[in-house]
Amino acid sequence: MRTNKILVALLTLLVCPSLMLAGTVSGKVTYTGTPAHQKPIDMSKEPSCAKQHATPISTETVVTGANNALDNVVVYVSAGATDEGQVPAQAITYTQKGCQYIPHVLPMHVNQEFDIINDDQTSHNIHPLPKVNTEWNKSQPPGTPPIKEKYDKPEFIEVKCNIHPWMHGWFVVLKTSHYDLSKEGGDFKLPNLPPGKYTITAWHEKYGTQTADVTITGNETKDVNFTFKATAY
Amino acid sequence: MRFIGAILFTAIAGLIFVASFTATVSAQDEPLVGPKPPVVVKPMESHIGNITGHAADAKSDYRRYCAGCHGDYGDANGENAVWLDPKPRDFTIATFKCRSTLTGTLPTDEDLFNTIGRGITNSNMPIWNVFTKQQRANLVAYIKIFSPRWEHEKAGTPITIPPEPPVTIESISHGQALFAKLECWKCHGTHGEGDGPSASTLTDSKDNPIRPYNFALGGKDSRFKCGSTNEDIYKIFMTGVDGTPMPSFADVIQPNDAWDLVHFLRTLQVHRHSKENEVLTAAHGVIPPYVNKNPPPAADTNKAPGGGQ
Amino acid sequence: MRMWAQSHLCQKPQRITSVLAAAFALIFLILGASQSASALPAFARKYGLRCSACHESWPMLNYFGQKFKDNGYQLMNERDAPIWQNPGYWPVTFRITPIWHRVSTNKVAVDQSSNGEAKITSSGFDLSGLDFHTGGTLEKNFSFYVLPSSDATASFHFETVMARLDNISGSPWFNVKLGKFELDNLLSEKRILTLTANGGIYQLYHFSPLNDGNIFGQMGSNQLGLELMGHSYNDRTRYSVALLSSNNGLVGLPYGSESYSTFITGSQAFDAGKLGVDRLGFYVMAGVAPTYYLTTAGAPIGGSGTNNKGYSREGFVGQFYFGQHVDLTVVTQHGEDSAWFGQGYGDFVDSPSAICNTPTGTQPCNNIPGTQLIQGARNPTWNGVLLEPHYVVNPQMILLARYETIRMSQQSTPGAASNLGNISTYTFGYRYNPFMTSRAGFAYHGEYNWFHWDGASPVTNTNLTSSELLFGIDFDF
Repeated sequence: MRTNKILVALLTLLVCPSLMLAGTVSGKVTYTGTPAHQKPIDMSKEPSCAKQHATPISTETVVTGANNALDNVVVYVSAGATDEGQVPAQAITYTQKGCQYIPHVLPMHVNQEFDIINDDQTSHNIHPLPKVNTEWNKSQPPGTPPIKEKYDKPEFIEVKCNIHPWMHGWFVVLKTSHYDLSKEGGDFKLPNLPPGKYTITAWHEKYGTQTADVTITGNETKDVNFTFKATAY
Repeated sequence: MRFIGAILFTAIAGLIFVASFTATVSAQDEPLVGPKPPVVVKPMESHIGNITGHAADAKSDYRRYCAGCHGDYGDANGENAVWLDPKPRDFTIATFKCRSTLTGTLPTDEDLFNTIGRGITNSNMPIWNVFTKQQRANLVAYIKIFSPRWEHEKAGTPITIPPEPPVTIESISHGQALFAKLECWKCHGTHGEGDGPSASTLTDSKDNPIRPYNFALGGKDSRFKCGSTNEDIYKIFMTGVDGTPMPSFADVIQPNDAWDLVHFLRTLQVHRHSKENEVLTAAHGVIPPYVNKNPPPAADTNKAPGGGQ
Repeated sequence: MRMWAQSHLCQKPQRITSVLAAAFALIFLILGASQSASALPAFARKYGLRCSACHESWPMLNYFGQKFKDNGYQLMNERDAPIWQNPGYWPVTFRITPIWHRVSTNKVAVDQSSNGEAKITSSGFDLSGLDFHTGGTLEKNFSFYVLPSSDATASFHFETVMARLDNISGSPWFNVKLGKFELDNLLSEKRILTLTANGGIYQLYHFSPLNDGNIFGQMGSNQLGLELMGHSYNDRTRYSVALLSSNNGLVGLPYGSESYSTFITGSQAFDAGKLGVDRLGFYVMAGVAPTYYLTTAGAPIGGSGTNNKGYSREGFVGQFYFGQHVDLTVVTQHGEDSAWFGQGYGDFVDSPSAICNTPTGTQPCNNIPGTQLIQGARNPTWNGVLLEPHYVVNPQMILLARYETIRMSQQSTPGAASNLGNISTYTFGYRYNPFMTSRAGFAYHGEYNWFHWDGASPVTNTNLTSSELLFGIDFDF
């Protein structure tokens, strides 16, 4: 076993020497101002979902944490990365539970397979609304197997369930494997960046995008923080 | 010769007179100002049976019949589009409602050819069945010039439709159970009148409000947006109506179950003459509750729709 | 000059096309800058279709427009009932045409002339009458059309008033129309592309021999009656049968006490591949009309007409498309009137002072019992043909030409010149729609008509020739 591990490490060094010098970009996404009040969702038309929530959940357009942290921001390397072509082999999941999308924002790599799962006792229809990729719309009654899909072009895609109009989510299809979603305090982390100049972009579904340039020279961690200006409406 | 002179003189005088009007028209009344780039007619083709349609041959017909709504550039921005509900199709995104192919795929040439000849009921899309087959084929080729998808992608494969089993009250009953289980009624209503709980919230993919199909409204000749035969209904819910809230059920309904649903849906068209309505009448207008010979383990917690008359 | 033009038009249509093309090159130079064409804007507004969808060139219908009309002005998309329209929608269209025209007639009755006739040529600005169209549906499958129409002095009459039950029992094969309406002519005179006095009508639709008293057989005039009409779903096959009052479309009962005529037509269209849709059909108009009227103080009493005599007009119609730009309409006619009409009887109400010959001398043209025809009087018969080619440059521009000739086959009065009353006429012109929307129609119109009528001059009974050049702006909204 031990020899195997050494072998793998050696091979990795041979194939990807840059891994030896890998930097990390990490930071926090915050907001200033007053974000819009998120309205509670009335799920009374769908009792099987309503009963899953002890208190009514709210819309997730702007999700915030303590100390002005802003969640659900996709932070990714939009320019400078050289390893864009590697599609992660593992599938990711997008779950419909309690008539909510979990996660609300699903970042993924171009051509990465993802599974859409219905954990509810009601039918959903998954209707992403791409402009660049191909639009489809599928029904998923309870107890049916996951829907396996992928997108072949980078795009920010709004996802709707027409049956439950409050259900709203995003597929963020990126042509890079360096991305993270800010959550639980607005923290994000982009590890394994070889030395080079990068443009880091932060995207929020309501507040748009911000970018920052960063240069990685070796084994270091660079702090990059993003601050979005919240609007009250 | 004197007469020729008189004609020429009056012609020129008359034309200068009218030309002054022309200038005024283009300067003031054109809602879209500025020069419009010409439409590049790519050499697209369509193949329907042994007919080959050529985009270049449809240029005049497209302008004459289609552009007022679908727009010169196929972007659904014709001068009438703003007044229409539902809105015309936007050919630049190449998403089509009526397909025999799976959701998200391009329709076959024949699908588009049939849509042109059939029109779309409850919309402003007329029934262009006076056209020659050649004209329709040419128009199918023409609308392909507006989206690059037609150059990179092949049309989807038409779904396989098994032969239709006979219409029986059991088939209708099973269809009704499926209508409940698949929650068709959430939008279409328990009686298919387009008044389900989610009906009022529906929007199409361009965020325009859209109504679910009201099965009960039509008369003896009531049609669906994508046809009027049982096979057409089968295709509609199996492939979905792309660009609208109507999803595809291809992954979730077994082919023979689908026919049962078709038979039930027919009974929702209460005014239409159909085999299904005859069978229902013979059963005194009552659909018996569905008895599943192989009940699934999970109980269905959703409320069932009422009797689908 | 005119012989040159006539011979070319008749024999060498290709040459005339190139001559026309050269003439229109000038027009394009002047008008060429403008963009996008349009018809009954009331319908266009309702359905959001451009005029060009229904009209090959406004106002002439194409096959789609014909189907729309045959469906009772319905698209058959479950959106035809007026309830689907905004309440402010009122299906009304005005149409009028200011024009300039120059009319020249070679023989007009003139006191100052030695033989009582002289040529008069005049030109000036003028107006057409105003048409006030309203039509559409009252409910799905209940259609109507009302058209008060005026002459150029705004004196109105009812051109069309009809109600129609469409798709009876859900079948397009049964539609019933009641009122005053245009006969189901495949080549519709109400949708004629020309505007001059003689070129703005189809001579074939109004012909009767010189001095003939039959004013009833005018298939171009809207008639009062009941029509059963049907067509296949795609309108390829169509028929109609109408029962009409022999009143020539006039309300009240000024003519026969019981005189009816019929109009029957049928046609079949074919998908001719790359040529387009080509149609072949026939029509028959046949009926009886009165020749004897009771009188009071010498004046005829309306509605008292009896002693019905027969007449008929029948022929073939063809509409042929040759690709996207060229089409040709052909109408033929064989007509026959009873010898009584041929001798001038029938028109007593309208022309009470007309004199008819009898073996015993002359008398007012009232066929009172015992009246005899002159020796050898026969049924007048004639044959005619109409050819109308179009060149549709694009949906906004059409070049058109027409040639009509009607030749007497048998004169009613023995010894009358064989060509007496023959008509030949040709017309050519263009219509250009500078813009194309579904809100209004607007066409620059230019037209020239030449008309020749044998033996019809008012005094000397020699050949009458007239010509008219017309430019105008035809618009509706």
